[in-house]
Amino acid sequence: MTPSDRRPGLRRLFRLPPGTDAAVDADIDEELESLIAARVEHLVSLGMTPDAARAEAARRLGASLDTVREQLHHSAHRRERRMRLDEHLDNLLHDLRYAARGLRRRPAFTAIAVLTLAIGIGATTSIFSAVNVLLIRQLPYAKPDELMKVSLTLPAAPGRNAREDLVWSYPKFTAFRNAQQVFADLTLYASSQYTITSGDVELIRGEQVGATYLRTLGVVPARGRDFERSVDDHPNAERQTIISRAFWERRYNADPDIVGKTVDLDGKPFTIIGITPDRFAGLTGRADLFVPITTRAAEDLSEVDSHEFYAVGRRKAGVTVGAAVSAVSALGKPIHDAFAQSRMGKDWTLRARPLEDARIAPLVRRSLLVLFGAVAFVLLIACVNVANLLLGRASVRRQEIAVRLALGAARARLVRLLLTESLVLAALGGVASLVVALFATRALAEIDPAVMIRAAGGLGGFGAVTFSSIRLDWSALAFTFGITLVVGLIFGLLPALHATRTSLVDNIKGSDTEVRASTARRLLVVGEVALALILLAGSGLMIRSLSKLLSIDTGFDGRNVLTLRLTIPPGGLARDSMPGFYDELLNRLRAVPGVADVALNNCPPLAGGCNGTRFERLDRPEGDPSRDANGGVHWATSTWFAALGVPLKQGRTFAANDRLGAPKVMVINETAARTMFPNESPLGKRISVGQGGFSDGGEVIGVVGNVRQSIDSAAKVEVYIPYLQAPRPGMMIFLRTQHDPISVTADVRRALHEVAPRYPVYDIQPMTARAAAATAQTRFNAILLGLFAATALSLAVIGIYGVMSLAVAARTRELGIRIALGADQRRVRRLIVGEGAALVGIGAAIGLGGALASTRVLQKLLFDLEPSDPITYASILVLLSAAAIVASWLPARRASRVDPVVALRSE
Amino acid sequence: MALLKGTLDVLVLKTLSWTPMHAFEITSWLESRSTGRILVDDAALLQALHRLEERKLIVAEWGVTKNARRARYYRLTPAGRNHFRAESERLVDHFDALTSVLESKRS
Repeated sequence: MTPSDRRPGLRRLFRLPPGTDAAVDADIDEELESLIAARVEHLVSLGMTPDAARAEAARRLGASLDTVREQLHHSAHRRERRMRLDEHLDNLLHDLRYAARGLRRRPAFTAIAVLTLAIGIGATTSIFSAVNVLLIRQLPYAKPDELMKVSLTLPAAPGRNAREDLVWSYPKFTAFRNAQQVFADLTLYASSQYTITSGDVELIRGEQVGATYLRTLGVVPARGRDFERSVDDHPNAERQTIISRAFWERRYNADPDIVGKTVDLDGKPFTIIGITPDRFAGLTGRADLFVPITTRAAEDLSEVDSHEFYAVGRRKAGVTVGAAVSAVSALGKPIHDAFAQSRMGKDWTLRARPLEDARIAPLVRRSLLVLFGAVAFVLLIACVNVANLLLGRASVRRQEIAVRLALGAARARLVRLLLTESLVLAALGGVASLVVALFATRALAEIDPAVMIRAAGGLGGFGAVTFSSIRLDWSALAFTFGITLVVGLIFGLLPALHATRTSLVDNIKGSDTEVRASTARRLLVVGEVALALILLAGSGLMIRSLSKLLSIDTGFDGRNVLTLRLTIPPGGLARDSMPGFYDELLNRLRAVPGVADVALNNCPPLAGGCNGTRFERLDRPEGDPSRDANGGVHWATSTWFAALGVPLKQGRTFAANDRLGAPKVMVINETAARTMFPNESPLGKRISVGQGGFSDGGEVIGVVGNVRQSIDSAAKVEVYIPYLQAPRPGMMIFLRTQHDPISVTADVRRALHEVAPRYPVYDIQPMTARAAAATAQTRFNAILLGLFAATALSLAVIGIYGVMSLAVAARTRELGIRIALGADQRRVRRLIVGEGAALVGIGAAIGLGGALASTRVLQKLLFDLEPSDPITYASILVLLSAAAIVASWLPARRASRVDPVVALRSE
Repeated sequence: MALLKGTLDVLVLKTLSWTPMHAFEITSWLESRSTGRILVDDAALLQALHRLEERKLIVAEWGVTKNARRARYYRLTPAGRNHFRAESERLVDHFDALTSVLESKRS
């Protein structure tokens, strides 16, 4: 048969593949010829000469033969395309209807599968969002690949690790800038804090920058102008500032005439010359305004060893990264030698690297990637689980499929039918996953970057790339869509191929070809259980750590204590006037209704530690350091101990006449007493303290209880010196309140404004919130690991359920025979549950080994707990067993209800 | 006279409502029934046939004519028959209206 023999009508009627364009064209040509020939024949039979007949036939065509043929071909092609599309659409609709019907018929199966996928896809999407924002998305500056960070580095020396990312001092930077040839623009910046002293007093963050800072980054002020390049030339430059758009909107209500006005920073007027574009907050990511470094005094900028600036440069056109890196390191030696007087240590040098590489602390980068790998793995397990459930379903439907195959359905068509079902399932899972992802990304965005950076050991990275910018955006949605598609194919294809492959006869007979596949599936469950146990062990340990942390005796009572900071800006108040000022302030605060007591201390508990220094006993002969100690110094008022409920153990605390001019006194904590004065009374002894003007020593007048400075380490040596004998500008105010500390906040603010309208008040928090912040990292770890463990556990339970259901389905005949031979329901149930328990037992044994090996990496994160803590392990084993029994109970119940007659007749 | 738009389709359906035919039979039938007043271009006819085929109003099948020539035979589908009934009624109604307007006498 020639291609033209195929009959389009029949073809479509029986859903055969549509014809090719060539076949369609051949059909048309032949029809056209046949029509012309028929007309010629007819005309000749009427008596025309063949030539005249041919001419008449050509005339009746309506146009030239070629034109007609072309027209017909053209419209035929269009028609074929349309028909093919219609056919696809028809098929798709049919498949979708079929899938929807199938899923509706098994609501439990559908719910479990959708839930599994929602967990897997949601977790992956949220971590992807974080990875995208923190690691992938381009930095929001012009041509970011040209930008490089230049730092000082210091090689390792005995007792010190190598330092990779050190900041510049101004003289070293200018020497480097004048010598280098590879950067078109080179500038520096440093984070700084300012008090706005005009209008409402406010403490803000800013950046001190080089004049070409914005130019280097390719940022153009949205209003006003940029700093002139000449601003860099001399210290004591004209005081100008560029403010951020967010700050302009927040503080000035987007006043259109703000450019040209002045703002007082730390008591000095600065002219606002420009506003940055939206969302630009400097490389620190938190700057409200930018001030030229050169507005500082000349002597500030000539300190060779005053290291405080980061340097950023934009490479000249045509200079490669490699060329810039080697040019910069080549300059290391001459710059080092030019500053022979520097006390930085020997052999420091210079290093340039793409800004891109410096965007986030390496530790955060690594943990994010590990996390991404982990969730991808979870997603894979979720896929395998759903594939398993689908296989279970496929084996139930094998007969239906076999009948369809026998009736002549093409295998490809059936595979597509089954695939549509899994894609629908994946789509439902994808939609549900967005709910999961929405909550998870919100949680991620709320991770305090400060906590994370501290956790990361402060390893650099800059604030412009922050967790707070994590959100579900279009790229995340696109990612979810792609993942959903891939996932649907992964878990759908295998069962679909499997279901349609097996031999027709076998399938109709219902004989068992499942054995090999079921072994693989059992191994999978064992693996899942093992994994769940490892993750459960990790999260169990973290949760136990957390509860231990929370039950720690911190040495103080933070309930009903409000804390806040008030800063006297530089030049705001002479040191000698501070005690008087604070006396007035404390008296005013004490008068606020609801306030029981007021106290000062420069360093709150649980903040990680205070100003450290060396304490030396003066009653010992010089040169005997055996009873000296290192520890923290607190500037405090006498009321502080009572306000925080810190008990006095010996002696007294400060008295009103322990003021400037009176003999210097101090109070030490119990650890200090035990360390420096074992077996003797410290009272009356003199100690030299390296800070606060106490180097000539002060007399120990009392010993107080230990207060923890960080939650996870025991109290260290702490010394309290009276604030009145050593005034300083930055103090924290503690108010013991009669009721909820939050309730007095407004009154306290008002009182502070009356006494000190020019000083910024900030960081107002109940003491309990500070304590909570101290456990934030552990809590975060516990929550994260807990989520992973919950996911792993639910996946394992679903896995066990899937495999046991399959096993029951495959063994219907055997179970029927058992029941027919007299096995009662309980025995059958026990058989199935026992089989599930065996799988869980093997998995748990493997997992236990894995957990004992891998939880050792948690050692550092655990608090007062061994990684092999038996209580944790016992409870997770109980949890896992309970979950396993529940998961195999349902299939077991189904097995026990097998009707032997039905089971045997199904053969 | 050129045929009104859509009229050719109805005429073709009418032709096929008797029996399956190939293209030349259709055009000859239309010509003889209209006593030569309806002459359809072959190109237009083939386009119309393919159009109707796409709309599943007719189906085509290769067959052999009495002169032993291969030709594509068109047959009305049930959908085509329904369509033809509705459309021809509409068309007749339409011409009826046209006729009564054009032949109306001043009263």
